[in-house]
Parts: sequence; C-alpha cells; structure tokens
Amino acid sequence: MAEASGVREAGADRRFASSLITVGSVILAVVAVAVLFAPLLSSWGPEEIDPLASLAPPGGAHPLGTDLNGMDVWSRVLHAARLDVGIAVAAVALAVVAGSLVGLVAGYRGGWADDVLMRVLDVFQAFPTFILALAVAALLGGGTANLVAVIALVNAPAYARLVRAEVRSIRELPFVEASLTSGSSFWGVLWRHVLPNSLTPVRVIAPLNCGWAMLTLAGLSFLGLGVPLPTAEWGAMISLGSGDVVAGRWWTSVPPGLFLLICVLGFSLLGEGLQERADSTRR
Amino acid sequence: MRILRFVLRRLLQLVPVLLGVVVLTFLLVRVLPGDPIRTILGPNATEADAAAARARFGLDRPLWQQFLDYVGGLFTGDFGTSIQSGAPVGSEMALRVGPTMELVVIALAVALVLAVVLGIWSARHAGRFGDHTVRVAALIGNSVPEFWLGLVLVLVGYSVLGWFPAPSGRVDPDTELSLITGADLLDAALTANGPAFVSALEHLALPVATLVIVIVAPLLRSVRASALEVLASEAYTAAAAHGLKGRLLLRGYLVRATLVRLPALAALVFGFSIGSTVLVEYVFSWQGFGQWALRGLLYRDYPVVQASVLVIALFYVVVFLIADVVHAILDPRVRI
Amino acid sequence: MTLLSIEDLSVVIRRPGRRVAALSGVNLSVEPGEVVGLVGESGGGKSMVARSIVGLLPGGSRTSGRVMFDGADVLTMDAAELEAFRGHGAAICFQNPRGALSPTRTVGRQLVDRLVTHRSLAPAPAREVAAELFESVGIRSPRRRLDAYPHELSGGMAQRVMISLATGCAPGLLIADEPTTGLDVTLTREILNRFRLAANAERRGVLLISHDLASIAEVCDRVVVLYAGTVVESGPGPQVLHEPAHPYTRALLRSVPDIDGRPVTATPGAMPLLTEAPSSCPFAPRCAHATQLCTADLPVAGPLAMDWSAACFHPRSGPLDDSAEPPVPAEIPPAGTVPSAGTATSPGVKESVLRIEDAHVVYRSRFGGGGHHALRGVSLSVAAGERLGVVGESGCGKSTLARVMLGLVQPSRGRVEVAGQALAELRGARLRRLRTRAQLVFQDPIGSLSPRRTVQDAIGEPLRAAGVPAAERASRVARALERMELDPSILGRRPHELSGGQAQRVGIARALVGEPDLIVFDEPTSALDVTVQAQILKVIAEVSGDSSRGSVFISHDLATVRGFCDRVVVLYLGRIVEEGPVEEVFGNPGHPYTRALLSSAPSLGAGYGGPQVELTKDLEEADAAGGCALAPRCPFATDECGEQEQELRPYGASLVACRRAAEIPALIER
Repeated sequence: MAEASGVREAGADRRFASSLITVGSVILAVVAVAVLFAPLLSSWGPEEIDPLASLAPPGGAHPLGTDLNGMDVWSRVLHAARLDVGIAVAAVALAVVAGSLVGLVAGYRGGWADDVLMRVLDVFQAFPTFILALAVAALLGGGTANLVAVIALVNAPAYARLVRAEVRSIRELPFVEASLTSGSSFWGVLWRHVLPNSLTPVRVIAPLNCGWAMLTLAGLSFLGLGVPLPTAEWGAMISLGSGDVVAGRWWTSVPPGLFLLICVLGFSLLGEGLQERADSTRR
Repeated sequence: MRILRFVLRRLLQLVPVLLGVVVLTFLLVRVLPGDPIRTILGPNATEADAAAARARFGLDRPLWQQFLDYVGGLFTGDFGTSIQSGAPVGSEMALRVGPTMELVVIALAVALVLAVVLGIWSARHAGRFGDHTVRVAALIGNSVPEFWLGLVLVLVGYSVLGWFPAPSGRVDPDTELSLITGADLLDAALTANGPAFVSALEHLALPVATLVIVIVAPLLRSVRASALEVLASEAYTAAAAHGLKGRLLLRGYLVRATLVRLPALAALVFGFSIGSTVLVEYVFSWQGFGQWALRGLLYRDYPVVQASVLVIALFYVVVFLIADVVHAILDPRVRI
Repeated sequence: MTLLSIEDLSVVIRRPGRRVAALSGVNLSVEPGEVVGLVGESGGGKSMVARSIVGLLPGGSRTSGRVMFDGADVLTMDAAELEAFRGHGAAICFQNPRGALSPTRTVGRQLVDRLVTHRSLAPAPAREVAAELFESVGIRSPRRRLDAYPHELSGGMAQRVMISLATGCAPGLLIADEPTTGLDVTLTREILNRFRLAANAERRGVLLISHDLASIAEVCDRVVVLYAGTVVESGPGPQVLHEPAHPYTRALLRSVPDIDGRPVTATPGAMPLLTEAPSSCPFAPRCAHATQLCTADLPVAGPLAMDWSAACFHPRSGPLDDSAEPPVPAEIPPAGTVPSAGTATSPGVKESVLRIEDAHVVYRSRFGGGGHHALRGVSLSVAAGERLGVVGESGCGKSTLARVMLGLVQPSRGRVEVAGQALAELRGARLRRLRTRAQLVFQDPIGSLSPRRTVQDAIGEPLRAAGVPAAERASRVARALERMELDPSILGRRPHELSGGQAQRVGIARALVGEPDLIVFDEPTSALDVTVQAQILKVIAEVSGDSSRGSVFISHDLATVRGFCDRVVVLYLGRIVEEGPVEEVFGNPGHPYTRALLSSAPSLGAGYGGPQVELTKDLEEADAAGGCALAPRCPFATDECGEQEQELRPYGASLVACRRAAEIPALIER
C-alpha cells in the first residue's frame, strides 16, 4: 500500500518531470537535425525514382528499401520531417495566437462579444476535432497552406476556451482590482496583468498540441486529403505501403510511422514534462 | 425527477446548436467547390445530361426551397436520397452506424476500465518505477498514429503470427450471421449464433486493441491526477488518520472521489475515438460509418454529408449530456 | 497513568534543495480528562506535533525521540499497529472541517464508517449510534442530517460533524487542529466547550491547537507554547495567559489587540525557519532581554513553579500589562494621541473625503431569481484626518462596502462621492483619475500583487497610471518603501518571494505612493500571523495619522478596530446598526447586536465591562422576515420588532438602529 497518508515526496515528481523534458528535447533536437540536414543524410532525392528497384527490400543502395514507385524510403522518411513538422508547428502557432487573442478579449470584456463567441465555440464543439478537420479538408482540398489553415482552425477553439476560462478566473483575483484602483486603464490591466498570467496553461498545452497536429496531418494524408503524392509525407507513405503489409512487406509503411511516432513522442514527452513540473510547483 | 428535468432542459438547449449545424453544413457543402453531379456522370456527359440529373435530385431549385425540403424531411426521419447510390440515406446509414458504435463503445469501455485500474494503482505508487513505466507507456500509446498501429498489428497478428483473421470485414461470411442491428457481436448474441460470435470477436480484437492503445493515455493521466489529488486531500488524510482501512478507504474515500471528473473527459475521448475510427475502419476494411461518410464527403454527396455530420453532432452532444448526468450522479456537489 | 507523553521529539524534513528542522526536542504530555492547549504562530510546528502523534508525517521526514501513547511508541509502530492505533488511540479534528469531510459520501456514512471500524458495530445499529452522536454535538434533526453531503452543511455544522467523527472513533486522545478558524465568536465558544465536555464527561485527553492563545486559554488546563519548533513555555492556562515567563509568550500576547483597548506592542522580526536544531535561543534575535548567553547557548526548560516551566535564561515575572517593564520596542499610538487626527470633530466641519448616501447593492444571481442583497441603504462619511472603523461578522457586507467606496462595485441605488466628486458621474480617464484618490489595502497581501510583476512595478503602478515620469516614480517609490521600513533590495522581487508581512507592507506602500485622499484597509491583518499582525497594525496606525487623509479600517475583529479608530460603524446584514465615537460604542453600546458582539469577544484583560448579551440563534439558522433584521436572533425582540424597519436614532453620543435601545439596560437587569 502506498504511503497511507497520501503525502508524497515532491522531489520525485520534479526529477521525473525533468527527465521527461530532457528526453523530449533530445528527440526534438535530433528531429531538427534531420530536418536541416536531410539532403546530406541521404544519397537519393526524396522524389527520385530508381528505375531498377521497385519494392526492393532494405539493404544495398537503399538502406530502408524502396516503395512501389522505386523511390528511396530512407530519403523520403527524412525529407518528410520538414513538411510534417513545419505544417504542424505553423498551424499550432497560428491557433495559439488567434485562439488566445479571441479568448482574452471575450473573457475579459464579457457581454455580447463573449456570448457570440461561446455560441460559435458550441457549434465547433459539437464535432470531434479530427472529424472537423476531415470535413473541412475534404471540402477545401489539400495543399500545404490549406492544411495549415485547417489544423489551425480546428485547434484554435480549444485555446480560446482555455484562455477565456483562465482570464475569467484571473479577472476576479485581487491584483486585478488592485491595478484598477491604481488608476490603470482597461487595456493596461489586460496587457500588463491579465495576459502574462493567463498564458501559463497555453505554454504547457502547445507542445502536446504540436504532436497531435502532426497526427492529424498524417491522418488526413493517409486518407488522401493531404499533400499530393510524389511529395514525401509520412501519412501518405504509410497509406501507399498499407497494401504491402498484408503481404508481409513491412519496410514501405513501418519506417515512416515509426519516425512519426518518435517525433510526436518528443513533443508529448516535452509537454507532459512541462505539465508535471507546473503541477508539482502548484502543489 | 430532477435529472429528468435537467435532461429535458438540456435537450431543448441542443435544438439551436443542432439547427446551427444543419444550416451550416447545408450551406458549406454547396458553397465550397466540388459538384456531386459531375462525379456520377463521368467525363463524357453533356450539359443537358447534367441538367437532367440535377433536376432529378432537386438541385436546380432555389436554395431556400431545397433547405425547406431537407428540414421538412428531417422531421419525418427522411434524410434524402444518396446521389451516388440512389438509395435512401437513412437506411444506408442505419447499416453503418451499428458496426462503428460497436467498435467505439467496446474500445471506450475497455479503455475506461484500464485507465481507472491503472490510474489509481499508479497514483498509489506515485513516483516509483511502476508508476513511471505506466505513464511512459501511456504516453507512447498516445503518440502512435492509429492507422499505422493498426497496420503494425495486422503485420504481426495476421501476416507473421497468423493468430487473427485478415483485415477485411467484421465477421466470417460462412457463419451466416443474420443482420439485426449491424453490430455483429450483438447480432450474434441475439440470434444465439455461436460461431458468428467467436468470429466477430476475433475480427474485433485488433481494431479494438488499436483504439484502446490510442485513447487510454488521456483517461489514464486524468484518473491518476485526480487520484493523486484525492490522496493528498484533507478528506482522505482525515479518513486515514481516523484509522479507516483497506477496502473501505479505497472504495469509500478514493474511488468515487477520483471518478468525479472522468465523465466529461470520457465524452471528449468518445469524440476523439469517433475521429480515430475513420482511420481504423479504413485499415481494417470495417465498412462502418466513417468510411461511408468519408466517401460521401469526397464525392460531395450532399445528402450523405448532411446526414452524417448531423448524426455525428447529435451523438457527440448526447454523449456529453450523458457525461453530465453521470457526473451529477457521482458528485453530489453538482446541482442540476 | 499518562495518556500521551512526547519525549524529546525532533522532526527534520528533507526535500530536494530544502531542509527544515520542524521540531527540535519537544516534550509534552496529556493526561486523561485534561485539556492541553498548544499555541504558537504558523511555522512554529503545531501541526507537526499533531501529525507525529498519529504517525502522519510528510514524506522525507526523519524523527528522533519518542511519542509514547498508553505505553507504546507511535514512531516505531508498523503499518498494522498504526492502523489500529489511528482513530481509536488518537483522533484528529481537522482545521478545515469542510475540506476534511469526503465530498462524495454522506456525513452519516462517514460517521458509520468510523463506528463500524472502531466499535465493531454492524451498519444498522451504527446508524442509530451516529444519530445519537450527532445529537450530542448539538446538531438539530440529526436523522435528517445523516443523509446530508458535506457541501450542504454550514461551517459550524461541519465542525460539529468533524467532532462527532473524531469522538465516534472512541479515542483516548482527541486532537483539535485550529478547530475554530473561520467561525464567528459565538460558535467558537460553543465548539471549545464541546472539547472541555469531552474531557470532563468522557475522560478523554484533549490537545487543542490554536494560533490564538486568548480564545482557547479559558478551556485549557495547561498551555504549551511553541516557537520555531521548540517548546518555549508550558504551564497552567491562567499563569501563562496573565503572567507569562518567556519573552516570546509575552510578545505574542502583547501583539494581540484587545477589546479592553490596551495598547498593542509590536515585536520586530519574524520567526526563523530553522534548517538545523537550534544551538542557541531561537527567539534571541527578536528579544529585548537577550544577552550574550542567549545567542551562545540553548536554554533548557527550567521549572518556575509546579507544572510551569520556560526555556529561557532570563524568565520574566509579573503580570503582562506591567507598563513599567523596560524596553518596549514600539507602541501603536492609541486613538486620539495623533495630534492631527480630529477625534472629536464631527464630520461636516472638516472637508469630507468620502460620502456615501443610501447605498444599496444587489448581486444578481447568475440564473435570475432574486439575488443577494449585500448592502441595504448604507450612509456614511469620512473626513480628512479621520479614522473610521467598520465591524461586523462575515457576510455582513463589509467587503462590498469597501468595493463601493473604491468604485469597484456600482451601487444599484444611492450615491458615492470621493473627494467631493460623484463616482457615477465620471467616465474614462477622469474616472480613473478620481479612482486613484481612494486606495484599497487588501486582505490577501500576496494575492493582491500580480504574480509576474516585481515589487518596483507594483508600488509604482498608480504613478505609472497617472503618467508620472520614470525618474520621479523611482524616487517616490523609494520614499514609500522607506516609510514602510522595507529594504530597497526588495524592489526586484516578485510576490511569491515575499513573506506575508512584507507583501502587506508593499500593498500599503502602493496605496500610499499616489498620496490619495482616502485609504481603505479591508481586513489587512487577518491573513497574517499574530506578531506580524502587530507590526502591520503599527504601520497602519502611522500611515492613517496623516491629517490630510481619511482612513477606513474594515475588520471582523472588534479589538483591532478599537486600537486606533476614531469612529466606528457596526454592520449587520448590509445595514448600519450602530455608529458612534469609538469609546462610546465600546464603552456604552446601544444596539443589542453590538452588545452581543462585545460580550462574546475573547479577551486577555478586563474584556467588555458591560452586561453580557447572547444572541439566541446562529446567523445561518435565522431567517429574517421583514422588520428589524436582528429580530429573529435578538433576546429583546418583541412582535413589533419583526414588523418595523429600524432607523438610526440618537443614543448618547452614538446613533443606534433599535427602537428599544433605551430600555435594554433595564431589560438586562431583570
């Protein structure tokens, strides 16, 4: 039985949190190297076709074999990191900025602006996010810019809600009243006191969200709603290789998924570590 | 009685949200690029053919008239006719909802049990090796792309080991399962069809495992966090300090207080797994709701898109309503 | 035989980057049928003693010494023995009863759980016993209450339930950790008497933990005073209370404002957080009597008399209020001694800085339907140089009144003027400028500072808002800081790096820096420890002495208000029930409510000299219909009181909202 008192050593949590953060950061650093030096790390281009090899098993000239079209899997897996990480990070950044701004103003102002926002968010919330992304992507069509927009759109409401809730509770804290009685203006209080304090949870959620955005992107591509084919993208690669799996040819779809997994895991570890650290400080 | 009143009030509040969904999807599918008629006619069709087809589906009439027809149909349970298949959307959908629900509900149930047991265990061993292992494993599960995980499970479970059936379909057709609800396991149980039951179970194993691995992490972390909070709470400390022990302490003072916050998250995860099933069904050729709705979207099959969006929204909000009711039952502080 | 005997107990808590010597060489004993009080400020180790007795020490703690209970050492018990001992051997009543009751289980079941575990009862008879226990702790309609959830109980009710839970375990020793925090005075008395009863009637030992010596001294047989994890004094209640021997005990008692108006003495400094067991007297740095011996060696507890000992090389003797006693570090000037404060001036002669006329505030409940009437027609004014006290129980509208004064809450009816201008008539920048003429000092000192801003930013904010250039701002901030006796090195710190006392000084500096016409102190010391409280009171007394400024001091504690206000307003359920000069209200109260408040206020000294008046019901139990709001609780109420609204009318030098005010002295006689 655990410590019957329920009182634990706070140190263990913090140590675990820092090791999560460290491992997550190392993974992301490795991914960053892959993103930057992809061309140097592979002898084939990502869309270069080896006419002599289609579905060649790993070994020889192709360290991870080739796919149906005779393209080098290793090279494609590396190059895909650029696109996947890039789109995910851009989309989350966009979602954070747009969502936080809307949440900040609505939460602090209250009134009709808040009501309208909440109703819009209600409609958004009537759908699971991936379904929403799927629907919008299917209707808008693929392409990098559209994908960023779609993923940002489905994520922004969460930030708006988060920041709005945070702002509403901060608004009631004594230091906001203190600032108002000091003669500060509405926007002054918002900018100097409410904003910096309301972004704390956003900082924790954003890395987790990056990982999730990559999964969304890959999922859309897997269903053929992402970037068009010769472009190297993990989800599309897995999709292309899915037929091979039943036949026991693992190398066309297992490596891209594994890379995706590692990359998302990097973000998750980082996010979880940050969350744990925030929690253990609060306790 | 209070709960019934609460449910009724909430159902009434849903009306504007669902109405918004209906209007929005109706407009969006028509405004955004893509033409359902072109997709069924093929490349050689003339303008006249297209116009005739449009007239057949009532797409030549003014928007407001189409909308009124659509909404009027909804009240009588008529979702319209699929442009692709020409069959009534309602009956097509009915065949599809069962299998998907079966998948999602079983996966969510397994994940909830797993999350509660492991989460509370983890919290009671917080900071130790076992706790860290559980948490990292859950994190990895949460980072796996479900469609890829499905493929890997197929590779191992079918291609290499041969323990599970091929990823095509939900039940062995030789078992001659008669269709009632579309949820094969349930149908097999209802018709007392033993072989079909076993076959359906075998087919369910891998997709359910895939979903469970993917959705258990957020549930687990929430249960663990709440359990930690309860363990550190004064209320629990007081119960322990008054010498209450073992099962009484666990069941009376830890479990219920821990579960209080789970329903809302479970509803959210339910939505998440509906999203994931679209991908998982694709991998396992499940012939479920997700695949059907996706095809409707890609071909701009207006009635199918409208119906599936509405049904998803309805399911989702109803699940949230159920979650609120369960929350109210678990937590006496909630006033409804 | 001794029930509990703690011998040379030391507890060190190790956390990464932190080490705290929570208890060092503590000796303490409790006999059956005895009530022992354990007092001291927070951080002194009171709760740690309670936790060691039931073996609930936090993770990372190391203990030495013995905690003997009925001849067995609790510290060496294994898990099974400990489970059997907890509850049945010693049971704790927790500080925050509502938090200590499991929110998802009915209180009846929680009590039954204890009865089944410790008295081996079957559930059905246990329920019967539970109902009896509820009745015995003064819970009305106990059977109905058994099925209540904790959130449905009021604070006093929850504390009663907590006591029944602890006694339900049939423990030999009952430990009560701050059992009366947050309860009003009447309830405090009743709850404390329950513990006395448990000792007398059931022969239990009781360990009563409190930060407030005065309130528990009456019911205790013996009192033990803790400072920085060591026992500094222990002895019979009356002796320790009235002629304490240890300088810390004396400082502690002198820091508490008293209803009889004797001066408060502030002791400089704060309790140290020790990392090692002390090798010299931990109080020496703050002690006026310390010699070289005190800073070199650790004093051991030396017996002074039968059962009375103090750990001091230079124990004091004689009664506490021996004013001839030498070094008095700092004394708060009592009301009227500040030359500029016009005690006797009636408002209106001097320019008034605040005027409120017939203010009503209704908080609409979010989902329509009624709402909460926080203020029901309050009129008052404050002149420059005047110090107005506002007193009342929690929920009487004190904080709302403060917010109305600052323009943070708009009254739904009535008029508020600050510095001669009506708040409601201004908008935008002019409203903001007027707002800076009135400043608020908050109850929660750390919470009123923005967590991400430095002290410099916080104090300078009113100046920044007023557009004062940076250079002048810095010099004015420095001046305010100096007046608060704060070191300039504090400027770069953030709120979480400040102690409560420092944070409150920063809060006062912020209020002061813009030279406002009015400062409102909203319970400024209620979140602080006793000796720190005295220091802050001293600062506030000094600040509110400025002749150009009016001050409003809001408190639930009558004694604090008496300390340095000129005029007092007594609030009850959003109405002023009595208003008058401080000496008049405290010396010759007119309203039954004021009389009751004064009667029940704890006192170390002479206390309230007038006849005792007790209200007949708790605030929560009384449903006010029309008429006088106090009527349901008032011992003098007649049928007419329940029908007529009462208006303020003259009574001596005061105004009193009671039609029978003049008859009451005669009524009390009977």
